[in-house]
Amino acid sequence: MRHSILLTAAAIALLTTMSGCKIVKNPDPNAEGAAPANQTDAERMGIYAREIWDSKVLPAVATHLVPLSDLRSAQALDIDAAGEKHGMRPDGEANPWNFAVAGTGTILEANTKSRAAKLKVDTDADGVPDVIVQLGPVIRGTAIRDAMPFIIFTNFRDQIEFAKLAGGLNAIAHDRLTIPEGDLTGMQVTFEGVFTFKNVTTSPEIVPTKLSFGGQ
Amino acid sequence: MNTNRRIFLSGLASVVTLATTKASWAEGKGLIAILTPSHDNPFFKAEAVGAEARAQELGYETIVLVHDDDPNKQSELFDTAIARGAKAIILDNAGADATVAAVQRAKDAGIPSFLIDREIKEAGIAVSQIVSNNYQGAQLGAEEFVRIMEETGNYVELVGREADTNAGIRSSGYHDIIDQYPDMVMVAQQSANWSQTEAFEKMESILQANPDIKGLICGNDTMAMGAWAALEAAGRSDVLVVGFDGSNDVRDSILAGGIKATVLQPAYRQAQIAVEQADKYIETGSTGLEEKQLMDCVLINADNAADLETFALGA
Repeated sequence: MRHSILLTAAAIALLTTMSGCKIVKNPDPNAEGAAPANQTDAERMGIYAREIWDSKVLPAVATHLVPLSDLRSAQALDIDAAGEKHGMRPDGEANPWNFAVAGTGTILEANTKSRAAKLKVDTDADGVPDVIVQLGPVIRGTAIRDAMPFIIFTNFRDQIEFAKLAGGLNAIAHDRLTIPEGDLTGMQVTFEGVFTFKNVTTSPEIVPTKLSFGGQ
Repeated sequence: MNTNRRIFLSGLASVVTLATTKASWAEGKGLIAILTPSHDNPFFKAEAVGAEARAQELGYETIVLVHDDDPNKQSELFDTAIARGAKAIILDNAGADATVAAVQRAKDAGIPSFLIDREIKEAGIAVSQIVSNNYQGAQLGAEEFVRIMEETGNYVELVGREADTNAGIRSSGYHDIIDQYPDMVMVAQQSANWSQTEAFEKMESILQANPDIKGLICGNDTMAMGAWAALEAAGRSDVLVVGFDGSNDVRDSILAGGIKATVLQPAYRQAQIAVEQADKYIETGSTGLEEKQLMDCVLINADNAADLETFALGA
């Protein structure tokens, strides 16, 4: 059954041009041309994550990108409406919204020693951090995966494979960052990235897809 | 009621275990079969109760059956549901691989299946697979575990039944967090097959081999309860225990200062959603949703345990 779905998907893939094609490449190890079966889920999903990063993930972020301040204004009026307008989320009851946001601010705290390195950033110049930028290598959550409209849980074998995909995407987000040496506190940072919305009082924990550092 | 029961029993070719048999004609929208593991675990009972209540509200008859995590018994129960002409099957299944054939058989007989809690390893056979976001939930539990362990110390992990995807995904979620902390040292990792008695026995022997443990993280609440009993019996109620499920038993233990935390799976609501999707599918031919859906879990500790009742968080 699964095999015939794969073959059908492969046939359709051959008949369509790759650009704008919505078909998700199925990561099943048995698929023709796919990686060897002795790869772990993490390895296979890591390869898939790299395949889609530039061609699909970054364009999806760009398409849905909203200035963080605009999002906050919209959420102050109506959280659900802001989600409908700017957010992305998978099917299911009460799944949280994910947002792709852009912003800039001052780094008030920089923990770059930890495996879960992060910046605390003040984007509204009130002297208090209101955004956390996750630098990794350990990046929490599944925001990038869950924000991607073309990534559908049904197309994956199970939650384990799906979790490894989230990890693979987070790993690439980390790999693509260039973090300056030395103390970052006080520097300006401009970011684009994705976060999973919890509530208006919890600082967004952004997984950056683009990061640049300015002067003091 | 008695008549229905007699008809039902006489319709059974082979005798199967019935947790309860309830039938009500209501508005005659047909029969929904609800299959879960043993109700000895209150988690599965909550699923069955939630599904049954919603199905009857929507005007269906129900039969509630338990497969005891035995794929052969589950297969017989599918035959029962098919023979009874069920309009839909609500299923918490007996194995990610072993269940595929049974769900396919029902589909071939024109009966859609709506899965809760556990996935199967094929898509396109069941109409819905609604599962808790175990990875997200396990990360919540692990973060709390690391916090109360103060990021350091020896710990033990009891994992669930290996054939169940949820055992693997929870362990994976735990370790993706805990392994970031080099001073957290796992001294034993064993499966207690989701079982309270097995967890009690495993914990007793683990404790003998590793008396210097500070924490225990478990793949579900029944194992946490079993292990906690063993720890208490050994005078080791200082061990920090975290479970998974959000059962009333663990809630009570948390409120009494015993087990420290668990992760709520919204089992009752999940079962109701499955019935609602079944109803929509029966009436319109589509649920309008993707087959596989995740539901987020919620951390339960002393702060919010009092609001927990039967796998649902109140106000």
